[in-house]
Amino acid sequence: MFDAHRPPARELLSDCVHCGFCLPTCPTYRLWGEEMDSPRGRILLMDLAEKGEIPLEGAFTEHIDNCLGCMACVTACPSGVQYDRLLEAVRPQIERNVPRPRGEQLFRGAIFALFPYKRRLRLAALPGALYQRLRRAPSVAKLVSTITATLPARLAAVESLLPPVAVREAFARLPRVTPAVGGNRRGRVALLTGCVQDVFFHRVNAATVRVLAAEGFDVVVPRDQQCCGALELHSGREAPALVRAKRTIETFEVLGVDAIVTNVAGCGSSMKEYGHLLADDPEWAERAARFSRSVRDVHEVLADALAEGPRAPRHPVRARVAYHDACHLGHAQKVRAQPRAVLASIPGVELVDLPEAELCCGSAGIYNLLHPEAAAELGERKAANVRSTQPDVVVTANPGCLLQIGKHLRGERPLLHPVQLLDASIRGVPVPQH
Amino acid sequence: MLHPTDLKELRDAVLDSSGTLGIAGAGTAADWAGPLGPVDAVLDTTGLAGIVVHNPGDMTVAVRAGTPLRQLQEELAPHHQRVSLDAARVAEGATVGGLVATGDAGPCGLAFGSMRDLVIGVTLVLADGTVARSGGHVIKNVAGYDLAKLLHGSYGTLAVIAEVVLRLHPVPEREATLAVSCSLTEAAELARAVLAGPHEAVALEWLGTTPDAGTLLVRLNGTAAAMDARLDRLRPVLPGAVDGDDRWAEHAAIVRGGPGDAVLRIGVRPSKLPGVLTALPARAITAGLGTGIATVVLDAQDVAAAHETVAAAGGTSVLRRRPAGASVSAWGPPPSALKVLRAVKQSLDPAGRLGPGRFDPWM
Amino acid sequence: MPLDGAARRAFEAVLDPQDVLSDPVRCRVYECDGLTGHRVVPELVLLPRTAEQVAAAVRVCAEHEVPFVARGAGTGLSGGALPVADGVVIGLNRLNRILEVDPVDRRAVVEPGVTNLDVTRAVAQYGLYYAPDPSSQQVCTIGGNVAENSGGAHCLKYGFTTNHVLAVEVVLPDGSTVTLGSDTGEQQGPDLRGLFLGSEGTLGIVTKVTVRLLRTPETVRTLLADFPSVAAAGEVVSDVVAAGIVPAAVEMMDALAIEAAEEAVHAGYTIGTPAALVVELDGPAEECGSTFEQVRRICEAHGCTRLHIAGSAEERAAIWRGRKAAFAAVGRISPDYFVQDGVVPRTRLAETLDRIAAMSRSAGLRVANVFHAGDGNLHPLVLYDGAAGETARAEELTSAIAELCVEMGGSLSGEHGIGTDKACSMPKMFSRDDLAVMARVRDAWDPQGICNPGKVLPTPRLCGEPGKYRPHPLEEAGVIERL
Repeated sequence: MFDAHRPPARELLSDCVHCGFCLPTCPTYRLWGEEMDSPRGRILLMDLAEKGEIPLEGAFTEHIDNCLGCMACVTACPSGVQYDRLLEAVRPQIERNVPRPRGEQLFRGAIFALFPYKRRLRLAALPGALYQRLRRAPSVAKLVSTITATLPARLAAVESLLPPVAVREAFARLPRVTPAVGGNRRGRVALLTGCVQDVFFHRVNAATVRVLAAEGFDVVVPRDQQCCGALELHSGREAPALVRAKRTIETFEVLGVDAIVTNVAGCGSSMKEYGHLLADDPEWAERAARFSRSVRDVHEVLADALAEGPRAPRHPVRARVAYHDACHLGHAQKVRAQPRAVLASIPGVELVDLPEAELCCGSAGIYNLLHPEAAAELGERKAANVRSTQPDVVVTANPGCLLQIGKHLRGERPLLHPVQLLDASIRGVPVPQH
Repeated sequence: MLHPTDLKELRDAVLDSSGTLGIAGAGTAADWAGPLGPVDAVLDTTGLAGIVVHNPGDMTVAVRAGTPLRQLQEELAPHHQRVSLDAARVAEGATVGGLVATGDAGPCGLAFGSMRDLVIGVTLVLADGTVARSGGHVIKNVAGYDLAKLLHGSYGTLAVIAEVVLRLHPVPEREATLAVSCSLTEAAELARAVLAGPHEAVALEWLGTTPDAGTLLVRLNGTAAAMDARLDRLRPVLPGAVDGDDRWAEHAAIVRGGPGDAVLRIGVRPSKLPGVLTALPARAITAGLGTGIATVVLDAQDVAAAHETVAAAGGTSVLRRRPAGASVSAWGPPPSALKVLRAVKQSLDPAGRLGPGRFDPWM
Repeated sequence: MPLDGAARRAFEAVLDPQDVLSDPVRCRVYECDGLTGHRVVPELVLLPRTAEQVAAAVRVCAEHEVPFVARGAGTGLSGGALPVADGVVIGLNRLNRILEVDPVDRRAVVEPGVTNLDVTRAVAQYGLYYAPDPSSQQVCTIGGNVAENSGGAHCLKYGFTTNHVLAVEVVLPDGSTVTLGSDTGEQQGPDLRGLFLGSEGTLGIVTKVTVRLLRTPETVRTLLADFPSVAAAGEVVSDVVAAGIVPAAVEMMDALAIEAAEEAVHAGYTIGTPAALVVELDGPAEECGSTFEQVRRICEAHGCTRLHIAGSAEERAAIWRGRKAAFAAVGRISPDYFVQDGVVPRTRLAETLDRIAAMSRSAGLRVANVFHAGDGNLHPLVLYDGAAGETARAEELTSAIAELCVEMGGSLSGEHGIGTDKACSMPKMFSRDDLAVMARVRDAWDPQGICNPGKVLPTPRLCGEPGKYRPHPLEEAGVIERL
């Protein structure tokens, strides 16, 4: 049985009319062809669990765990079922009420002891075998031997995912304030730098700051920012996620900026959810709602600026560019047109969509660490779809997707965040190779 | 000879007779398929004639099975409607029921299919006198089993067809045919080009006496306003094409065959058709290059081998004219579903009253 | 009788044991298809990966007399894939390979679990498409289309699944495999393929389908027109048909349906308009252009209040997205709904809609109408709130509407099938003898009665003993005879 703390709402469950339109967009249904690993099946399971007709342990937990949380089903659903809300309600119920096997607990513990912490990630990113890196992170060192013994496949997944990073990039920092280029500024924004993003893709953050400044924004980067809690939130670890949410609100709300900008799809979707998450908390409800309203994906900001009239001249980039919609940007935030508009503003770019565009690449937060086999199949499928369009460059706006697709594309083609391409166009420099 | 004039008389005729029954309409397909064995009585359906109801606004017509299609078309014509079926023997007075029972179709089957695609309802009488109906009077209908399909091509072996409901099409403002002299192989290339273009031919038939020389006929249907422009666009695809509106009678004559001819209707994948036809010792050929359905005129002694040739190409074949007195196999190798056919026959006509011999030697 | 251990072991021997689901929680998600009002939990769910495994599984069923129900994507709206207690569900969604595409002979050979739209996607590169297009085409499978003889918006001109399937490979209820139809669709003897198509999974399981492909029309013109009344829109349909025009599609939606669809997909429909028509013409450019003008004039002559002509492929897609999402979108304006699928002769559309409106008022339930106006196939959506105890009333109204269609000289179902939903209404449309002959045909294919039992034909267990036969309205009108 679900406990009393925010179980999935009956009205939300009964929105599903069982039409099945979600099936072809669900990655796990596509992989396995089993109804219980489809949105429709999972909603039915949630419904049965909510009525107390089935236990939470066993099949229920297994099939909810198998969900990538990509929210492609939300896009596909003609009845407007809010599967995102349902999943957000159900995952914490499982975390609270279903004991996990010891190995599973340890592995999840290790992930959440590592990824939300830039300092630990930087250490982990240093050259050397991963378990060596992990050992250097003091708080996870004691778990490592257990993990390597019990979960070699998962460890290998972590290992193969993380690309080598130059020490200099891993430790680089952005200026606290970057003024708008040319004085005539459009506004003042703050940038969330992200955790994985800042360590493994610092260059994307640097490009983001340059592009925003070139388009007339003062960019503030608070030094004391920490993890926004997205990974925990999407995994049902509600309590720590809420602590991080509050801390992030506190850090940013005092800055007096027009918008809080992120270039990470996953972070954006969780920060836009703060208002809903904290709606029951009288102390935080209003602050969280105000915060969420001010969160913008970088493409939303840039597309609005484009509509007003671009400031920075673009240099042509002659390239066939495949754009992959990150699930947390396209499905969760419904930001699809804006990145395309931004890319289309670069002269010479021929934009192509991918076949099976709605299908997740398999990254899905920490899914590729918890379910490496399924994630690898989806990654290979995504890579094959990318190849079929024969692009010169592949772009996507989420570090998880960049890591996952990068792993499966095996360096065949440059793989970038869209702002990197725009940055190269504005600066008139060659397109970076990574 | 039994000669019912309404459904009640039909049922009574079936109930009151005993023993085997042959079913006959206009008799235009009496020498098709397997020869009807000796029967105790022949049930003549031509008395079951006339339209039951025609709803012009719904484009449907219910008609008694013994009505000649030719006559039905005449009655529909003032409403600018028609049954889109141009089988060769319609001109000889073939009845609606007979056309269904023999699964017949003509050149415009490319666009409209065969009788199975036009029948939307049927009333039938089983050998035990049971009267049953399936389908209805609306074009779109999936309620219950479609028994009309079961009767399509049943050659009077499963039930007597009493009444048929048909879907109608508007008579096109204009029909036009282009004709090109060419070999069968050339025709296949031309047909491919026509089909790959936007021309929407409703019939695409080659006819000739040997595969080396003959004529490709391409028929269009459409509005008067657009037809000339469409023909202008089609002509460059068919170099040397001339007006061919009057050539269809020749086509029908080959399909019907003449005294002493054995006629075989065959079907293979369209791309295999030229190869299969070239391998047959045909005296005349019509080849539906879009549908894969062809008619060949053969000597009686070549029929058995022709069945084998077609079967080897994965096709279907049925005898469509048996020379008087000749012993010719009507059917090729039995289909995989023969046991289903036998089970259905056993269920609907357990005493084997209807149409003995028509599926000889299969059933 | 619950499944015995021997049958379970036999299934696990012919399938990979992990493809045999027996966990009661997992089996529960297979308890219904798109018709959620009926639910039965199967004993086992089998998820074979090949046609050979399907045949082997059916042989086990035959040997152990286990009833089986085939299932594709589970989108059916008549409960055709409702499981049988103590029986097994055979899911075919994993048989989803496209085995062959032949652009020259314009055909494709596909497994039953391939979705309808994936066929068109696979052949589009050759300028071809698969014509039947049910609204659920992105998810429904070809196997399900074969079972239901599915139609779609374009069947007025292009026909139904039965007109586009040349051959099917079928596993019969005894586990043997046969082919019905042929490479050309020609059948030697009775059209068994035609009988099988639309038999709702009661005669066997399809494992391979050869479909005919059509060339993508050169020109497609689509318009969306608003009308001050459903009657006015209906007159447009009649006039178009009377003019000898066969549109590719003519669809009508009423105010409620428009509201729901527009909220769901923002396709540019006018909220508040009493009726909207979607008319699509296709064909050679010369033909299409002049005919389209004719349709436009007919719309204007009947007081069309807004006429939107799709100016691009995107705009056309948007119009269809609105139409095709309409059913499920009604979920946004009502907690629950039943969808009906009756057909009436086109000339009786207006009269039927008036009657439905009156019935809706007296039942105190809203009815949204979305339908294929060109062929008279109605899809009234009866809106209700199960939590407010309206279910029984809604069910009554739904059945009454279906039976009204029969009374109008039409049919209980145009494309969704009879399934579980309407089996008990069959005696309203067919006589005892009609049904008895259908039962004899069924018995010939499935003498053990294990293949999707309880569907299509009414059974005393489901429907009670049949009442006294009521003459068919056409019979009373002297249109059909009965003895």
